[in-house]
Amino acid sequence: MKRLEKYARGKGLARLVFALVFGCVASAQAGTVKIGVAGPLSGAQAAFGEQFWRGAEQAAKDINAQGGINGDTIELVKGDDACEPKQAVAVANRLVDFDHVTAVVGHFCSSSTIPAFEVYAEAGILSMTPASTNPMVTERGLSTVFRTCGRDDQQGVVGAEFVVKQLKAQRVAVLHDKDTYGQGLADSMKAHLATLGLKEVLYEGLTRGEKDFNALVTKLRSVKADAVYFGGLHSEAGPLVRQMREQGLNVPLISGDGIMSETFVTSAGGPKFVEGVFMTFGADPRKIPSGKTLVEQFRKGGYEPEGYTLYSYATMQAIAQAMRATQSREGVKLAAWLKANPVETVMGTKSWNAKGDLKISDYVMYRWTPAGKYEEVQ
Amino acid sequence: MSFHILVQQAVNGLVLGSVYGLIAVGYTMVYGIIGMINFAHGDVYMIAAYLTAIFLAALTLLGIQSPPLIILLVLLLTIACTALYGWSVERIAYKPLRHSTRLAPLISAIGMSLILQNYVRLSQGARSQGTPTLIHGSLRLFENGPDQFVQITYAQILIVVTAVIGMALLWYWIQATAMGRACRAVQQDRIMAALLGVDTDRVISVVFVLGASMAAVAGTLVTFNYGSFDFFIGFVIGIKAFTAAVLGGIGSLPGAMLGGLVLGLAESIFSGFVNTDYKDVFAFSLLVLVLIFRPSGLLGHPEVEKV
Amino acid sequence: MGSVLREALLTGLIALLLFAPLTGVSLSGYTLEGHWQRPLWLAGWVVLGRFALGWLLSRRRHVVAHARPHRRPSLLASWIEAHRTFLLLAMFVVALILPWFIGKYWLNVAILAWIYVLLALGLNIVVGLAGLLDLGFVAFYAVGAYGYALGFKYLDLSFWTALPFGALLAACFGVMLGFPVLRMHGDYLAIVTLGFGEIIRLVLNNWMEFTGGPNGVRVPFPSFFGIEFGRKAQPGHVTVHEYFNVPFSNEYRDIFLYLLLMIVVGGLVFVIRRLRRMPLGRNWEALREDEIACRSLGLQPVMVKLSAFGLGAMTGGVGGVFFAASQGFVNPTSFTFMESAHILAIVILGGMGSTAGVIVAAVILTVLPEALRDFAEYRGLLFGCAMVLMMVWRPRGLMGARRARFDRSGVA
Repeated sequence: MKRLEKYARGKGLARLVFALVFGCVASAQAGTVKIGVAGPLSGAQAAFGEQFWRGAEQAAKDINAQGGINGDTIELVKGDDACEPKQAVAVANRLVDFDHVTAVVGHFCSSSTIPAFEVYAEAGILSMTPASTNPMVTERGLSTVFRTCGRDDQQGVVGAEFVVKQLKAQRVAVLHDKDTYGQGLADSMKAHLATLGLKEVLYEGLTRGEKDFNALVTKLRSVKADAVYFGGLHSEAGPLVRQMREQGLNVPLISGDGIMSETFVTSAGGPKFVEGVFMTFGADPRKIPSGKTLVEQFRKGGYEPEGYTLYSYATMQAIAQAMRATQSREGVKLAAWLKANPVETVMGTKSWNAKGDLKISDYVMYRWTPAGKYEEVQ
Repeated sequence: MSFHILVQQAVNGLVLGSVYGLIAVGYTMVYGIIGMINFAHGDVYMIAAYLTAIFLAALTLLGIQSPPLIILLVLLLTIACTALYGWSVERIAYKPLRHSTRLAPLISAIGMSLILQNYVRLSQGARSQGTPTLIHGSLRLFENGPDQFVQITYAQILIVVTAVIGMALLWYWIQATAMGRACRAVQQDRIMAALLGVDTDRVISVVFVLGASMAAVAGTLVTFNYGSFDFFIGFVIGIKAFTAAVLGGIGSLPGAMLGGLVLGLAESIFSGFVNTDYKDVFAFSLLVLVLIFRPSGLLGHPEVEKV
Repeated sequence: MGSVLREALLTGLIALLLFAPLTGVSLSGYTLEGHWQRPLWLAGWVVLGRFALGWLLSRRRHVVAHARPHRRPSLLASWIEAHRTFLLLAMFVVALILPWFIGKYWLNVAILAWIYVLLALGLNIVVGLAGLLDLGFVAFYAVGAYGYALGFKYLDLSFWTALPFGALLAACFGVMLGFPVLRMHGDYLAIVTLGFGEIIRLVLNNWMEFTGGPNGVRVPFPSFFGIEFGRKAQPGHVTVHEYFNVPFSNEYRDIFLYLLLMIVVGGLVFVIRRLRRMPLGRNWEALREDEIACRSLGLQPVMVKLSAFGLGAMTGGVGGVFFAASQGFVNPTSFTFMESAHILAIVILGGMGSTAGVIVAAVILTVLPEALRDFAEYRGLLFGCAMVLMMVWRPRGLMGARRARFDRSGVA
């Protein structure tokens, strides 16, 4: 017992010496608010990391131009997790302990977000993901975690309703990529198909990083699937749909927000292959009136704010507003404020429930057109 | 189980197996000559895929329209450039280690694999890329009603045919040319071959160039067929092709092709009739079982212990 | 001089040919964007580098030709040799007090470094001492980590019971795998172990009902002999800061893990030192050098190899339990082939069979990628370059030179 006390005192002393020697105290400089932006800036999902960064960067610029947060300017810190849980934990520790951020926008892959949010919650730092849709992100009773997107179970509801009621499919095959996000999505689809009284004819996983899914496609043919649901990302969805079409399997493919990128068309081998592909995504933020000027600003800079760009922007706005309103940077206070007050963002008014999920999420179905663009299904 | 599905799965397996076989050749030749596992080989294949897309885009920009001409030009350019990569990799990362422990080149190869992946990621971006479809159309066999048919695309036929031609050429080269004889001599006994005046360094370089060329053929064909690739594709397919090489008996050229076909067929049949989730578990279990009961692979020569 | 220049220019030309298609243009959709200056710059650097290298080499050759035939050991090496005990003691003290000063982030890196030391020491028994190339060591690491995670989930095991449990489980797996495959030779063994490592990972990823699949399993943090490290205790327990009456800090848990790992590694180093002098260890090394001679002298190769495999696997299992405890979450993506390669790289970089070398290499290869985080974009590239250059520079590893005289052809 005495030993521990001595250690603790030793540590204090050491910090003092450190501060004297280096002339600084280990805390953020006055006048700036450090906010971490974490996601896959490298690795196979780097396209999404770029969307995060573009959105957050623009938001920080705009907020600073409007006088910052109570006079302090926002400074962004990049954190690259490459969609790997171990790296995500390392990055989270680094952002917390090394960069001393006061809030985090981030983590894209749910498998990274889940362990990383544990680190932020333990340190009492507000963390908001613009994109991780796995229910587990907010289901663990952590008080300072939020998301500005919907949940997989909601995507599953919309997907299942669409498949059963609009496509009138009878034999649905459910596939996934054996990752937290993809499998979560497939599971929720499976569950909601069951509530609609439909049992899937096939439920299997493919291997991420492979490109040959011909055996699986033949299997889809052998079970006579009339609709295929895929939980996963565009890098696998592209080749999958192409091989379906090439084997003469012309049934609709339905997926989630993971294929929400124009890269999907490139990796499918051309726009002619994406016809008959559907996906769930939030109502297109680019069409919301409140975001019109911002979208134009992005386009003027030569960047199309697709996918999660505006989500990331809105997340920054929410954090900034909470900080302004509470005059605080403590995660717990910010979280309490966000759960009690709605926030005006570029994507309209957003409000959160006690778990940190959006009160209203608005998944709608999109269709890829033969021109290689996507449009809302009416 | 319907006949059509069985045949279709066999076709799938054949196509996949040909690709595995082409890449496995690179592993097996390098292993046969210098006894090292070239972990960067999968990434050489990945580079070939990128080169294919780049040359394709460049030729299209130059206004060349005819698909056969484009395919031929892209194939030749890709082979040339990938071969150069294969040669450089050997020159930089393995040649200085020729006389050190056997494990040093292994680590060097893993480092090289990281370098190639990141080099492509930095220069081409991390997002997955694609090529437009060049070879349209397909063949329907045994058609018998709306879902009863076996469909083979022309691209798939091209893969199998090119793989066979490529392997035959390689086989001829090894058996009938002076350099091929030198290769076989080095494979049997490097020191003795050197004593008899074979330039072993040159032979080893040639082997790397040939291995890379075969990987280039695979990369080009796969890119034409699947049209999608990213900087990480070399890893998964590299491990699979390597498994195929060991399965067939590492060091043996026909073994590599046979191992590729067996692995491709096994994967696609298992995936089609049992379960896709455990496809890879099955592939690796097959490997372990074969090696336990036939420790030198299907066509490999049993290892002779030298005292 | 002229030949060096010519060589450099030729290299530059090849580099230009290599770089031109991949860096000179980049794919954007189905068309290309030009970056004509990039390959020129790169090739320019290659010419310069090649020229400098050639010039240095030619000078060195010149010097060596006229130098004394025997090089005396460097001043530094002899100084290190003379003050060995003192240096070790100093390093030990530094390692002991380090965790109090470096902050949570570097503390976590340090814990990871210790875990890698543990894993590398385990693999070193198999590869370095017994000479069996194992490319699937990560399997045992995974077994240990999942042994703790699933042991907690289903059997309610605590950290302290999971530690021997995970170790035993991994050892069982090691022996189970070892039994059929140890008859194989060198590289075939390597491939089978690689396959085994992949099988374990794929099963962990696919067996949703039991392992949670890609979602992973949450792992409780270890307790200080029943006293918890959290901010608030579970009902019926106390927390460390309450018990010792100190302010709460989330670093205590990590410091505790760090020190515990130090003890475990220390114990392992001691055991390995002793084993190497015992018949068992001698058998391992004898078998590595010449299996046929061993058999002719009446040694049972299977039992000897199996013991090395089992012991190595056990160490891997302990490493896995610690990994799970420090991460608080395990997921199959942490146990890919690259992880095996990383551990093997540590062993080889450290110099096979050398305990001190392995420790140094583990620390370098864990801290290096973290230190390179500031170059986030170039991290993988630099890491790969470091691996290749290290091998070219010292193919026998940092501290493997001493064994070189009886190392005929390396392992296998």
